[in-house]
Amino acid sequence: MNEPKPSLDELLARMPRDIPPSRNLWTDISSDIERRPRRIGMWAMAASVAAICLTGGLTLAIIHGAATRAPGADTRIAQTPNRVPNRGPNFDEPRNPAYQAARAELESSFKERLALLDPKTRAKIEASLAVIQQAHEDMRQALEAQPSNPVLEGLLESTWQDEFDLYDDVVRNTQPAMLRS
Amino acid sequence: MGTVQSLRRFAEVDDDEVDAAPLIAAAGAGDKRSFERLYGLFAPRVFGLCLRLTGQRETAEDCTQECFVLAWRSLRQFEHRSRFSTWLQQIAVRTVLARRRGLRVRHEVAEPATGLPDIADPGAEAPPLDLERAIAALPEGARDVLVLVGVYGYSHSEAAQALGVAEGTCKAQLHRARGLLTSALGLEHT
Repeated sequence: MNEPKPSLDELLARMPRDIPPSRNLWTDISSDIERRPRRIGMWAMAASVAAICLTGGLTLAIIHGAATRAPGADTRIAQTPNRVPNRGPNFDEPRNPAYQAARAELESSFKERLALLDPKTRAKIEASLAVIQQAHEDMRQALEAQPSNPVLEGLLESTWQDEFDLYDDVVRNTQPAMLRS
Repeated sequence: MGTVQSLRRFAEVDDDEVDAAPLIAAAGAGDKRSFERLYGLFAPRVFGLCLRLTGQRETAEDCTQECFVLAWRSLRQFEHRSRFSTWLQQIAVRTVLARRRGLRVRHEVAEPATGLPDIADPGAEAPPLDLERAIAALPEGARDVLVLVGVYGYSHSEAAQALGVAEGTCKAQLHRARGLLTSALGLEHT
């Protein structure tokens, strides 16, 4: 009798986290430390610092955005005269092909799961989605009339994220318990 | 994925961390020999993470090396607010991301996510080579999230912070990665 295939989670859980390097890297590390640290590999250091700054900036924007639903000011907006807080740098997501693909897959899963729900629950979710999508469309049209209005841009991002959160909530809450993230 | 994270966190052995405390203090004060012992304790974790994020052994070795050099330089700033291994892994992720950006800026090419012909530890029990290869073949963004959340037990929030992306992006990428892996490995879709 064939044994059942393990699930993806089981396979992932079995993976060893530790993999020893195939050679001892200590000699090179030691040499790097011995030599004047900040003169060696300056581009790598600069890149690391840049990455840390970028990560920190994005994190701040995300945290601020999550807390206020009108995300923190990015550099461009901070330079505007009225300094109105606006969208964070993450709202480039709609133009990011990788993000679009991932979101499309999530939306597809959402629709599959939605179809399996009882009619009453499905109707409530569809009503919520319609409200979010209508709000998003309203913001989009308003922005056509007032391009670059920071408040409208913030609201546009907020409705975009709300729609995503709804998809994510439905998909996650209709998965078997083991697969929930 | 929450179950996997919980199991991993629960099963995580703290012995290395306990052994590391005096070594961290000594290395922070400039004792290279203690830092070498820290390297011995934590290099496999850092290398494993770098290898899975980069998909290339040589690049992973370079990143591991850079990670430990950066850790040496920053050790005095380590304040024990997180585990030492967590702190090292954060440096490792940043090093990998910085290297990617650096390579792109300089050469206008992305590192290809090639297969991993010899990634598995030969002594390990039932090395899941197919899974390693399938992970290496994932698109970069999906692979990053899958490795951090699925293999190394990060929460979505931690992974999003480490990768500099929104938490929603992280969840979407994980969903994508799971779908691709499930198909690639011929597993049952749930």
